Amino acid sequence: MLPLSAILAEPQSFSLAEKLLLIVLVAASVTAFWLRFRVVLAKILQSKKDASFRLFPIGKRLWDFLWEVAFQAKVIRQRPLPGLAHAFVFWGFCAFVLVTLNHFAVGLGLGFLSPTSLFGRFYFDFAAVFALACAVGILGLFIRRFLVRPKWLGQQLSYQSGFIAFLIFLLMVTYLASFFVADADPATRVLWWVHTLALLTFLPIIPHTKHLHLVLSPATVFLSRGSFSQIPPLAGDEDFGLIAGTDLTRLVSLQAFSCVECGRCTEHCPAAITGKLLNPKEIILGLRNYLNDLGPASEEPLLGKYNPQEAPFQCTTCGACEFQCPVGIEHLPILIGLRRGAVNTGTWQDDYGSKLFLALERGSNAHGLPASERDKFIEKVALPIFDGSQEYCLWLGCMGGYDPKGREIIADFAHVMNYLGTSFGVLRKEKCCGDPVRRLGNDLVFQKLAESNLEVFAQSKVKKVVSICPHCVRTIQEDWKEFGTPPPVEHHSEFLAGHANKLPAKRSGSESIVYHDPCYLGRYRNVYKQPRKVVKLAGKLVEAPRNHERSFCCGAGGGLVFLGEETGERVGQVRATELIATGATTIGTACPFCNSIFRDALAEKGAAAPQLLDIAQLTARGLPESQT
Amino acid sequence: MKIIVAIKQVPERDAQIRIDAAGKWIEESGLQYALNESDAYALEEALQLKEKHGGEVVVLTAGPERVGPTIREALAKGADRAIHIDCADLGSRDALGVARLLAAAVKPENPDLILTGLQSDDLGQGQTGVILAELLGLPHSSLILHVDKTDSGLTVKRELEEGWFQSIELPTPAVLTIQSGGNKLRYATLMGIKRAKTKEVRTVSAAELASDATPVAVLERVALPQKQKSTQMIPGNPKEAAAALVEKLKFEARVL
Repeated sequence: MLPLSAILAEPQSFSLAEKLLLIVLVAASVTAFWLRFRVVLAKILQSKKDASFRLFPIGKRLWDFLWEVAFQAKVIRQRPLPGLAHAFVFWGFCAFVLVTLNHFAVGLGLGFLSPTSLFGRFYFDFAAVFALACAVGILGLFIRRFLVRPKWLGQQLSYQSGFIAFLIFLLMVTYLASFFVADADPATRVLWWVHTLALLTFLPIIPHTKHLHLVLSPATVFLSRGSFSQIPPLAGDEDFGLIAGTDLTRLVSLQAFSCVECGRCTEHCPAAITGKLLNPKEIILGLRNYLNDLGPASEEPLLGKYNPQEAPFQCTTCGACEFQCPVGIEHLPILIGLRRGAVNTGTWQDDYGSKLFLALERGSNAHGLPASERDKFIEKVALPIFDGSQEYCLWLGCMGGYDPKGREIIADFAHVMNYLGTSFGVLRKEKCCGDPVRRLGNDLVFQKLAESNLEVFAQSKVKKVVSICPHCVRTIQEDWKEFGTPPPVEHHSEFLAGHANKLPAKRSGSESIVYHDPCYLGRYRNVYKQPRKVVKLAGKLVEAPRNHERSFCCGAGGGLVFLGEETGERVGQVRATELIATGATTIGTACPFCNSIFRDALAEKGAAAPQLLDIAQLTARGLPESQT
Repeated sequence: MKIIVAIKQVPERDAQIRIDAAGKWIEESGLQYALNESDAYALEEALQLKEKHGGEVVVLTAGPERVGPTIREALAKGADRAIHIDCADLGSRDALGVARLLAAAVKPENPDLILTGLQSDDLGQGQTGVILAELLGLPHSSLILHVDKTDSGLTVKRELEEGWFQSIELPTPAVLTIQSGGNKLRYATLMGIKRAKTKEVRTVSAAELASDATPVAVLERVALPQKQKSTQMIPGNPKEAAAALVEKLKFEARVL
């Protein structure tokens, strides 16, 4: 056994022939890298400019970069074991930058970091720790990919990945082995050359494979649109969304080339899990294949050969994909962009879709019911009309104004607001906030609805809005910004949590309530604590297996609730089964759409089903009888 | 085939209707307007005929300036051009008066086919289309669900009572009034709206068409329907009650 000197061995001199060979090999490797990378870069830069892109404010970008790239926080947090293995490889690479530069410098007789100097000794040892971690990490990833084989990595084994893993492992092993040999030992020279050849082989492979993410994803994370599911405004009269290559923007192309094919998006996608055609990873890879085959100047449609048209229309816009993506791909603007392209030009033909669009073109609500139905409800439960003097405008939404269960939630929430002595009123001329058409990509109807509602807000002098629907909250607060300045909007969970100290605490402590995070409240708005606080007032909070930012969609979002029966297993059924399995006596919801989906799913379970209540109903139930 | 579709702008389905001070018409201020429903089906039928057989679809409407968005919507859905008869007193004209305006505008166009909706959602007289045919001296048929072009003219599907249909052959040119529900309507698209901006909208004034505005039918009074609710309790055991209910639904409510 060789003695461990803890000092890195380096060949002490290189012949001219060796130096020349090294120069030729480096030049060949860099050229091979550049020849392919140049093509990728050109395709990205030839794509359309992102008209709404702003570099500033830069603070959030820097933070995202630090958090997601440098700290690998998202990679680790959402998949701890493989995430950590990946982080070791990544950090190993970072630590190796200096080592690698010195490695080649040594080959040309220009070594700048002496293994015997104080800093050199420290740094090489430091890098050795990372090398060890990296070697273990890559071995772990290799085992996962080739032996464990999780299904979202795809059916086919990627031998490229195997070869890359081997090269990385070889790099680390040759480096570590150099601590066990002496400078003059011929083995030192062999290790040095093997390390060199591994590196020079690795470099040109990067741009040809998904390892392109090494180079691109730091930029992708840094340059991302910045806020969750940010749908860019259409740029000019000829922009109708993503129709052909010419509509792909630089950000979209950059993201498509950055995909590392890890499949986290697909693993969490409710459509993919329940056997729909949609596979978010394939959507991104389809775009990449399109760019590779046809390029960003092509007029060929994006949907058809490279991705089926049905796929984007199976998206619930739950955003799990975008939330999970470790390389900064923003799936929602892409999926909604593809829908926009198909809907804004009329190429998407769907009976339910047309019915919804016509209902909102001609009427005021997504259900296609006459507005007088809403007036009747307002009259029946004696909701005050907003006249500008009240503190809150209570936004009913299509569910609150027209759906029987939604109306119950509104009535109970109004009851709680009355109990708290908060003044509020409802609008007479409220129209659908436009969420279903926004997500389905109908910009024409969305703009009409947003503008008409903004006008009513302005006329009525609305200062603050509260809504029971996370979809309305999100759409009013964020999406309407394209057409005006919406007033601040609160979700009723935020309102109720803010008044928790004035609400009676636990009346029936024995009741266990499993809370379901709505996508549009959680991932879209980062509201997790407030509804839980409200639930805890009513009973014992139970967490579903998938909760907080990993919550599983009910299947209603993205306009899908209006598009008729889904193919394959029902998303809502899967989630309801999961919620029931917690053994909770009550399912607590905070979104009228989730509520309506679970209502149907629970109906199939018969009498054994837990009860289903919105957080407003849970709260109203706990109010003292005398006050009602 | 050159098709003219006569359309009308009516108060939006969800509009809260009030009667004006004189009690002779509805209060128009603050109302939102939309394309009359059966006219939307007439337009859809015309667009489908054009897609199958080629030709041109021209929309024709009479009304004040506010009909602009409705014209643009029709153009956005695929009509090629529009003729707007500018006329602020549509409410005081009877069906004959409106048909005269339309006839005067149609004549110089020499279309192969003229489609209108069966009736308007506001007045619901169902007269304008058939009077127009009479004024133009053209064959017509009403309550049409579907139009097929044949070598010699048209074959149309008419809706009769109680689920019966009738198939009729007509020569062209002809006037047809279209029933709602025969087709699936297309939705307006952003691209359609943008393309519509460059399409021709020709405005002619009602005076230019020089037609007689004196109504032969005078509107006396309009009123909101009286709301009536009555509940009947049907006594007896479930079997008897159900039988009595069926009886009432059949012969009193006439819904079965």
